[in-house]
Amino acid sequence: MLEMLNQTPFVHTVVTVGSFTIFAIGLIGALSKKNLFKIFLSLSVMESSLFLFFIGNHYEVGKLAPIAADGITLFDGHMVDPVPQAMILTTIVIGIAVLALSLSYVVRYHRLSGHTRIDKMDELGEKQ
Amino acid sequence: MNLKKTIKLKTLLSALLVSFLTLTLLGVITHVTDVHLTLGDQLLDLNRDKTQSANAVTSVVTYFRGLDTLGEVTILFLSIFGIGIGINRSDQMHTILHYDNPLLKIGAKVLFPVIILFGAYIILHGHLSPGGGFQGGVVIASAFLLMFLAEGDAYDLDHRIMTLFESLSGAGFVLVGLLGAALGGLFLSNPLPLGTLGRLFSGGILPVIYLFVGLKVASEITLLIEYFIRTRDARDA
Repeated sequence: MLEMLNQTPFVHTVVTVGSFTIFAIGLIGALSKKNLFKIFLSLSVMESSLFLFFIGNHYEVGKLAPIAADGITLFDGHMVDPVPQAMILTTIVIGIAVLALSLSYVVRYHRLSGHTRIDKMDELGEKQ
Repeated sequence: MNLKKTIKLKTLLSALLVSFLTLTLLGVITHVTDVHLTLGDQLLDLNRDKTQSANAVTSVVTYFRGLDTLGEVTILFLSIFGIGIGINRSDQMHTILHYDNPLLKIGAKVLFPVIILFGAYIILHGHLSPGGGFQGGVVIASAFLLMFLAEGDAYDLDHRIMTLFESLSGAGFVLVGLLGAALGGLFLSNPLPLGTLGRLFSGGILPVIYLFVGLKVASEITLLIEYFIRTRDARDA
C-alpha cells in the first residue's frame, strides 16, 4: 500500500495540488482584502506556493540531494537536478527584496494619508 | 433576477475553465517521467571535474550561474536603496517593537555572539553542507533582530560600519570576478587551486564568493530590519 504511494508521479500530483491550493488561497486574499499589507502578504503566499511547486516537481523518488556527504563522492544521475534549487534560492532572495520594498511603500503611504485601505485611495481624484 | 442568473453562469463557467486547465496541467506534469540528460545532469558531470565543491547547488549558484547571483545581490542592494531613499536621518527614530524584560536582555547578550558564530559557520561551510551565504547572512541578521527586540532604543547600530560592510562585500564580489578575468580569461572563472573534495579550503573561489554574499546579505537584511522596527510615529500618524 505504501509502496504505491511512494512513486514519483504520485508525489508530483500531491505537490501540484497542494501548491495550487496555496496559490488559490493567496489569490483569494490578494483579490478580496482591502488592506494593502494583507494584499502584499497574500502575494508573498502565492510566491511561496510557486517555490513549493518548482522544488517538489523536480524531486524524484530514490534520488539524493546534490551534496557529497556520508561517503558519497560521485556526482552523477543518482542525484536530483541542482539547477531548480539554485534558481529558487535566487527567487526567494528577490522575493524578500520586492516584498520589503513594497511594504516600505505601504508604510510611507500610511504616513502620508493616514490609512492603508485600497478602496479609500483617491489621490488621483477619480471618485470626485 | 436576470442579473443574478448571469453572474451565476459566469461563476460556473470560470470555475469549469479553471478546473479544466488545472487538470490539463496535472496530466501534462504527471506524464513526463523520464527525461535523460537534463541541464542538471550535465552540470553534475561538470561539477565532478571543474570544482571540488561538495555541494552542487553551491557550485551552480556561485560558479556556473555566478553572474545571476551578482544580479541578485544587485537587486537586493537596489531594494534596500529604494527603502532608504525617503528616510530623514535627523529625525528621532523609535523602536516600535520592544520588550522591557531583564531575562530577554541578559539572554540576548549571551546569545548574540553565538548566533553570529553560527551564521559565520553556515557561510563558511556553504560549499560543504546545506547552507551558504544567503542562509548564514539571514542568521546573522536575526542576531541583530534579537538585540533590537531586547534593547530597544538603547541599542546603537553604527551605520558607517554597516555601509562599509555593505559596499566592500559588493565590491569584493566584482573584484573576485575581475581577478578571474585577469588570471583565468573569463569573468568569474576560477584561478585559485581547487584542493580536495570535502576540505574547508577547497573549491577555489566558491567559498570566497559565498563569504562576500554572506556579508552583503547580513548587512542588507540588518538595515532592512532596522528600517521596519525603528520608525518615526508609525502608529500615531
